[in-house]
Amino acid sequence: MAIKETFRLSFEMWAEKYRPKTLGDIVDQKEIVERLKSFVKSRNVPHCIFAGPPGTGKTTAALCLTRDLYGGVYREHIMELNASDERGIDVVRDTVKTFARMKSIGEIPFKVMILDEADNMTSDAQQALRRTMERYTETCRFIMCANYSGKIIEPIQSRCAPFRFSHLPKEEHDHYLNEIAEKEGMKLSGEGLEAIFEVCGGDLRRAINTLQASASLGKPVDAKVVYSITGKASPADVRKMIKIAMEGDFIEARKQLRDMIQKYGVAGSDIIRQIHTEIFRAEIPEPWKIRLAGIAGEIDFRLVEGADEEVQLSALLARLVEAGSDLKSA
Amino acid sequence: MKHKPTSLAEVVGNKEAIQVLVSWIKSWESGVPKKRAAFLYGPPGIGKTVSVEALTNDLKMEFVEKNASDYRTEEAINHFAGLASQYGSLFGGKRIILLDELDGLTGTSDRGGVKAITDVVKTAQCPIVLISNAAYDVRFLNLRNYCLLVEFKKPSTTDVMKHLKRICYSEGIDVDESALKFIAQRSEGDVRSAVNDFQALAQGKKKLTYEDVSWLAYRDRQESIFNVVRMILYGKTCASAKQAVNMADIDTDMLFEWIYENVPEHLTDPHDLANAMDALSMGDVYRGRIRTSQDWSFMRYVIDYMTAGVAMSRQNTKTHGWIPFKFPQRIQMLSRSKADRAMRLSIGQKIKRKSHISAFRASREVVPYLKIIFRNDVNMAVGLVRWLDLDPEMVAYLAEGEEKAEEIVKMLD
Repeated sequence: MAIKETFRLSFEMWAEKYRPKTLGDIVDQKEIVERLKSFVKSRNVPHCIFAGPPGTGKTTAALCLTRDLYGGVYREHIMELNASDERGIDVVRDTVKTFARMKSIGEIPFKVMILDEADNMTSDAQQALRRTMERYTETCRFIMCANYSGKIIEPIQSRCAPFRFSHLPKEEHDHYLNEIAEKEGMKLSGEGLEAIFEVCGGDLRRAINTLQASASLGKPVDAKVVYSITGKASPADVRKMIKIAMEGDFIEARKQLRDMIQKYGVAGSDIIRQIHTEIFRAEIPEPWKIRLAGIAGEIDFRLVEGADEEVQLSALLARLVEAGSDLKSA
Repeated sequence: MKHKPTSLAEVVGNKEAIQVLVSWIKSWESGVPKKRAAFLYGPPGIGKTVSVEALTNDLKMEFVEKNASDYRTEEAINHFAGLASQYGSLFGGKRIILLDELDGLTGTSDRGGVKAITDVVKTAQCPIVLISNAAYDVRFLNLRNYCLLVEFKKPSTTDVMKHLKRICYSEGIDVDESALKFIAQRSEGDVRSAVNDFQALAQGKKKLTYEDVSWLAYRDRQESIFNVVRMILYGKTCASAKQAVNMADIDTDMLFEWIYENVPEHLTDPHDLANAMDALSMGDVYRGRIRTSQDWSFMRYVIDYMTAGVAMSRQNTKTHGWIPFKFPQRIQMLSRSKADRAMRLSIGQKIKRKSHISAFRASREVVPYLKIIFRNDVNMAVGLVRWLDLDPEMVAYLAEGEEKAEEIVKMLD
């Protein structure tokens, strides 16, 4: 390892270490960044919804925006609240309201409340929030970060400027990771980069965590290293699960799915994305591929609305069992 | 209750269970046994509480009876813990504590109650008897580990009849054999309700005939969970499958788990299976809609899909033989990994303080990577321990082994 011991002892999570500090540091999501820069210029920010999948820079953009707006003392003017940890109505009534109604000191007459994972708030809490937003618009602006904007109630959506974040395209993903690899003095092969993108699908936080964990093995990072790190979430396992299902063993396939979700914490949306990819690689008659892709799409849609990822994905597995048996008898 | 047994000899049926209970109580004479509590379970009215009362009567023990749902407040728990810390009472007798109606602890607000009771059981110095109708309730999973499980079964119709006959004899009532049989059968082994019925019907009478009792309405009984699941998976009509929900004495989410677990074994035809799983998927979508809209009237669709939707999927599956029902594996897995999740979440809290990510998400998305780092790169691990300000237990957890953990802790100094 090329890195000196002294340097290494100051290690932190790379995802945090390399988080952009200002809007100017963000190289992707160009249109969004331009609009946010114009807010800074006019020194006014509307209520916003930042919607998009995990690891696409929603929180980062919110933090950069406020730092550019308030300067080095930005921490005094903002509050960050995470709705998955504090999702109840009491938090809105107490913490949020107290912060929102306090007058701001300084040139800019309002403060900013960043509500992360806002789609996890109960609808009661969202209703309460809606009133708070209305009443204290003068003193507080809200930025709501959410994976699914559809889970935010309509009246709040209509009060907010919407921003849609999307997964990083491959080039920008590669650019970020290569830069980090270079700064950390580690070897990252093109094929390793490919594997990270395949597994993390443009979720930059996961990609950087994967990179850091790969680096801990102390050898050049290639596809093999990446797959060994991501363990059970690798495409090979999803492929195996599909195979088991299509051979007719639903119970075993569901068990594998359960392990992926419960033991290894793989997100349902990641699993279905990989299933979708694998369907087109599978050795089945061409018309079946599009038929199965359609079923995957339907389940993907239900994942957004449903309560339980395993129940939804196992419904898809059952369809694969059905397809397998139809193919055999055809 | 006039005809309640006061001695074990008078208790109807369940000889085996009573034998187990007696020898456990007697084992306390030679020191604290491995299991400090007995968990009696079985349907209502078959003599669980009565057996304990009769037992303490026979053995002349000091008897403290409480309703388990009293143990919601800290004060009550402390009182309970105080009682449980001594075997002998002031007056030289031996003490036994009975916590009845454990099922009465409902909803999330009482979860602490079960935990507090478990804590007392772990260190109890005198026998504690717990009584519950449902043994499979997931809330008691951990508590059950510390208890001697004693199942009470429904006594046979003949046993119930014998008991009723004794009462007739002592009350001087002349009764037709067919009337007694009718009451005993209707009660389905519930001795308490049989005696109650009998008393209500025989009140002020010297003679009781079949005609006197035949109008006795069928008492709605909460079917065991297996019967409920069977009614759903093998329902012939939508109505019969939907009706099963009313018979279950578990909540809808738990019933959903039972159905979800058992569908694949019972609907084996691929088309039937796919349709049944699709129905559950749609039911789950409505559960999600309830969550986001807080509109509980959507529950009717959840129930439609999970019962009738599943039942109507049975088109091609051949029914062959008896297939046992399984306890939802997912629930077992979840409660087994509870300590693990708690640890991950507390590490998640530490990550949250340093990084803009929720503790919950960090516990799922970051902790697995930390484990890899801790296993492979001591230097990087040391840096992260400092940066995140992790406790020694967290280091031990992430390092997954004492050797590695020690190595890391040593480097910290």
